[in-house]
Amino acid sequence: MINVLLKIVFLLLISLSYSCTAIYSTANSVGSSVASLFKSPAKIENKITNPKIDSARLSVLWVGHSTMLIQIDNKFILTDPVFTETVAFLSKRLIEPGIDIENLPQIDIALVSHLHPDHLSLGSLDLIEEKISELLISEGGLLYIPNFEFNSSELKWWQSSEINGIKITSTPVLHNGMRYGLDYNWLPKAFASYIIEYNGITVYFAGDTGFDSTTTIFKEISKKFPKIDLAILPIAPIHPREYSNIRHTDPHDAILIAKQINAKHIIPMHYDTFAEAFDTLGEAELLMRQEMLKNNLTDKEVIILKIGEQKVIIPKEN
Amino acid sequence: MIRKYSKIILILLFIGSSVFARNKMDAQDSSKVSAAPNIHFSWLWGVAQLIPSPQWILANDKNNFGMRWQITPILFSFGMNKKLSPWRYFITDPLARQSGSIEMFITPEYFSTENKFKDNWLFRSGFRVYIPIWQKGEYASLSFASSYYNFNGNNGISYEAGIYLFAGIVGFQTTYMPNFRNSEWIFTIRLRYF
Repeated sequence: MINVLLKIVFLLLISLSYSCTAIYSTANSVGSSVASLFKSPAKIENKITNPKIDSARLSVLWVGHSTMLIQIDNKFILTDPVFTETVAFLSKRLIEPGIDIENLPQIDIALVSHLHPDHLSLGSLDLIEEKISELLISEGGLLYIPNFEFNSSELKWWQSSEINGIKITSTPVLHNGMRYGLDYNWLPKAFASYIIEYNGITVYFAGDTGFDSTTTIFKEISKKFPKIDLAILPIAPIHPREYSNIRHTDPHDAILIAKQINAKHIIPMHYDTFAEAFDTLGEAELLMRQEMLKNNLTDKEVIILKIGEQKVIIPKEN
Repeated sequence: MIRKYSKIILILLFIGSSVFARNKMDAQDSSKVSAAPNIHFSWLWGVAQLIPSPQWILANDKNNFGMRWQITPILFSFGMNKKLSPWRYFITDPLARQSGSIEMFITPEYFSTENKFKDNWLFRSGFRVYIPIWQKGEYASLSFASSYYNFNGNNGISYEAGIYLFAGIVGFQTTYMPNFRNSEWIFTIRLRYF
């Protein structure tokens, strides 16, 4: 009798282990992700090999998802570095990173907005360890930054840190900071966006955020940082909207945030890089273009990059 | 042969692990060590600890199913961030363990033998070393352990090797108990959520 019971428990526990895996992946995408595991990421032709643009004061190269290589004058900032083929074990990269690791310049500061696997990739940090001088992460985040060679520090909301002349201020967003699920209560503020200031240029990197018309977060950011030259904002996952809107902005929400913080330029991100269960490829970009039309925004204000594409946002004056 | 030198092997493994951990600790910049991170008890954590790891016991005479639970009174992580305290007591975040650590463990284990319920319990205590092998141990890690067990008043030594995936949530452990009922192997699907 007890053997039968134990066999039942055994089977239940195996089922539980699969459930845990699914929970851990955090992505809402296990089914499509498993299918995509067998496909190779799409190739990018003519990747940029030297991302330093001498004629630029501010330029941005989209590496994919939330990974942006930002050049401000002679400094390089890399956001949410992800270069691995998968995130959260099962979510497969659909397109290869927009720059090869060997062509990355020395990164003055790597910023990690929160601990979800599509933003904090330990395998990626391992791959680019020697390229990073300093890493900043949200409050509580050091728990999941093991011993790397580079120095790493946490920033609390509204706390600033100046590194090599670059001032970084952590700002709140609407999201969550857990990585494995059960750590939800241990990391109540482990999610952030960042204001990057250097030589009179201000960039806002939103990481991952939702939007709520009642929130005052973005108005506060605007009050403290009235001159934002560029806002890099997530525009996906879009579906299911009734669930996603608490944690993720769609193109409509992203434009509302950009208006609240008075950003001069917007670059959308966080789409079409990893397998998603509900969004289709190209959907986020299409919706973004529709929102641009509705809001009379031109492609000078909203700069839609392709993965691997680099644009000068503010050129040097002659 | 193994039986003859089992106690010496256990002692050497413990000393070796301690020296390795000590060296790693010394290599860290002690001036930047900060307080322990915000890890605390929650009911969900408590419930998660009740999840048993199913196991299959292969003995010369009989095969049995069983279950194993894990308690970690103390863990020293040599893989985690040098700015955080490397010590954990009972409650351990997955990466502190899987990124490289040495832990003292206690495992109550239940075997489904024909004995009475109270006579089916084995208690094991020992030291286990985790070694990261992929993505700082988050994607995959290994472990090696040695321990003493007590089963119905009989004591003995056991050795164990394990491999873990998904931040240590799922793993596979093999335990060898050379002195137990004419040599016994235990194969465990290690389930551990924090």
